[in-house]
Amino acid sequence: MKNSAVLIIPSHPKFLSVLRGLTAAMGELSGMTTMEIEDVKLAVDEACSNVIKYAYSGDEGKRITVKFRIAKDRFEVIMEDTGIKTHPEFIKGRSLEDVRPGGLGIHLIKRAFDVFAFDEKKKKGNRLTLIRHKKNIKKSNEH
Amino acid sequence: MNIEITDHKGNKVIAVSGDIDMYSSPALRKELLSLIDKKAANLLVDLSRVSYIDSSGIATFVEGLKMMKAGGYGGRLKLIGMPEGIMEIFRFSKLDNIFEIYGNVDDALNS
Repeated sequence: MKNSAVLIIPSHPKFLSVLRGLTAAMGELSGMTTMEIEDVKLAVDEACSNVIKYAYSGDEGKRITVKFRIAKDRFEVIMEDTGIKTHPEFIKGRSLEDVRPGGLGIHLIKRAFDVFAFDEKKKKGNRLTLIRHKKNIKKSNEH
Repeated sequence: MNIEITDHKGNKVIAVSGDIDMYSSPALRKELLSLIDKKAANLLVDLSRVSYIDSSGIATFVEGLKMMKAGGYGGRLKLIGMPEGIMEIFRFSKLDNIFEIYGNVDDALNS
């Protein structure tokens, strides 16, 4: 449990700001730069918005659990819900050349995290693991 | 998020402040699309006091731009005072060349 935190929020969009606040605080504790924190905060927000929109189909009365772990070599976020199963093979954002509303969130998640993986063994709901390796500092500073 | 709509030399200026996210973007969408419905010729969105934007906020502006173009009345949507952090997301999304982006109201109106 060292260097970890857990947040349980209702699946209501008004709690996204609470999640962003904790994400930023954990990013700061892990030694990220301001730019990295902004990227990670946006990515975690996008992942949680997807849970509300797709796994819970907009139902605001469900629960989302977000676990943060800071390790020497990584920043890890695990997001769990009990909603509709996500099929990773169908998750793909729009081409960035194709300008239209929507389809951008997945790109914003993948630019901040090196690992974006659903636990296919979870029977009910979803468990999404996001990992950002610490060697990846350069990635953000290149913006 | 807070939205203020003012007139500046006959043009509508929507000044947004705070966070634009999945919770707040529907209110912004409503105001933006309402002004487009009224065929606002120059619609300026002041983002200088926006501290955060997610993909739902970006989608709101993309939808607004598409509606203005589809309206066929020659209206222009201009984004002004964009903070660097938000500009960076527009660049990453390859939207910096799609939108008209200006430093301030006067630059936007003189374009």
